[in-house]
Amino acid sequence: MQKAMRAFGVCCVLALTMSNLAVTALAATAPATERYLHVKVDDASKGESVNVNLPLSMAAAILPTVNKGSLHNGHVTIGEADFNGVDVRALLDALRTAPDNEFVTVKQKDQDVRVAKSNGNLIVHVLDKSKDGQKVDVTIPMKVVDALFSTVKDNELDVAAAIRALSDAGDAVLVTVQDATEHVRIWIDSHSASE
Amino acid sequence: MILLGKVALGIAGTALAGVGLICSEGMIEVNVVEKQPEAHHVYVLAPAMLMPIGMHFVPSRKLGRAAMELRPWMPTIRAALDQLRAGEDMTLVDVRETGQHVLVTKDGGSVVVDVTDEDETVHVSAPIRAIESTIEQVAAASPDTHQ
Repeated sequence: MQKAMRAFGVCCVLALTMSNLAVTALAATAPATERYLHVKVDDASKGESVNVNLPLSMAAAILPTVNKGSLHNGHVTIGEADFNGVDVRALLDALRTAPDNEFVTVKQKDQDVRVAKSNGNLIVHVLDKSKDGQKVDVTIPMKVVDALFSTVKDNELDVAAAIRALSDAGDAVLVTVQDATEHVRIWIDSHSASE
Repeated sequence: MILLGKVALGIAGTALAGVGLICSEGMIEVNVVEKQPEAHHVYVLAPAMLMPIGMHFVPSRKLGRAAMELRPWMPTIRAALDQLRAGEDMTLVDVRETGQHVLVTKDGGSVVVDVTDEDETVHVSAPIRAIESTIEQVAAASPDTHQ
C-alpha cells in the first residue's frame, strides 16, 4: 500500500514538473514581440524635435474602426484621377516578377529620381539639387505594397493589411527626408523607445 | 464596552472597505509647479473612481455636444485604450522645443503627461480605466438618456 502511495506521489511530482516545463516552453514560443512604428523629426535650426512611437498592433486595431473621409474599415478610397489612368496592379505584378533592378533613373539639372527593386524592397530615391534641396529615401517591402493593393476594388488601398504586413516585416527604415535644417525618419523595429 | 468595540470595528472595517473600493481604479495625480518668484504649487491626488462618478453630476445638456462629437469615435477610442492598456510601458510622444518639453508616456495602467516650460511644470497621471469610464460616461450623455 505504501509503495503504491509513493508511486502515486512520484507520478504527481513528475506530472507537475512536466506541466511546468510545458508552460515555460509555451511562454518561450509565445507570439513574436510587439513591433513599433517610430517617427522622428529633428529641426536643428529651431532646436526642435518630435518623437512618436506607436505599437503596430494598436495601429492595426484602430484603423478598421475609423470611418471618416476617404478612410473606411481600414481601406482608403482613391479617386481615379490619382492613378492618372495607370493600371497600378498590372504595374505591381510586373514589378513583383521582375528581378532586382533599377527601373527608373531620371537625372535632371535640379533633381535626380531613382526607382528600384532590391532584396524584396521597393526603393524610391529623390534628390532635389536646389539650394535648400531635400533628399528623400523611401524603402517599402514589396509584401507591404502587395498588401496595400490587395483589395477587390481598384480604387482602394488596404492600409490595415499593409500595417499587418509591416508587422511581419523585419526592422526597416521606411522613410528618411533630409533638407538643410530638418531630418525626418520613419522606421519599424521591436523597441518601444526611439533610440 | 464590548458592543461599542464591535460597532467601532464594524465602522472602521466599512470605512476601510469603502476606501479600498474608491481607490480600486487607481489614483489621479495632478502636480503643477510655477517657476515664478511667487510660485504656486498645486498638488491633487484623488481616487480615479471619482472621475466617472463626478460625471453623473454634470448636467447632461452640458455634455450633449461633446457626447455627439465623441460618439462616432467611440469604437476607435475603445480600441486605442484597450491596446494601450495591454501594451508595455513606453513613451508615446516626446516633443522638445526651446524652453519646452512635452512627454506623453504609458506607465503601468496610467497615461502620464509631463509638460515643462519656462513658466511651470505640469504633471498629470490618470489610470486608463478611469479615462475610459469617463469617456464612456460623456459619450452616453444626451438629453434623450438623461432627461
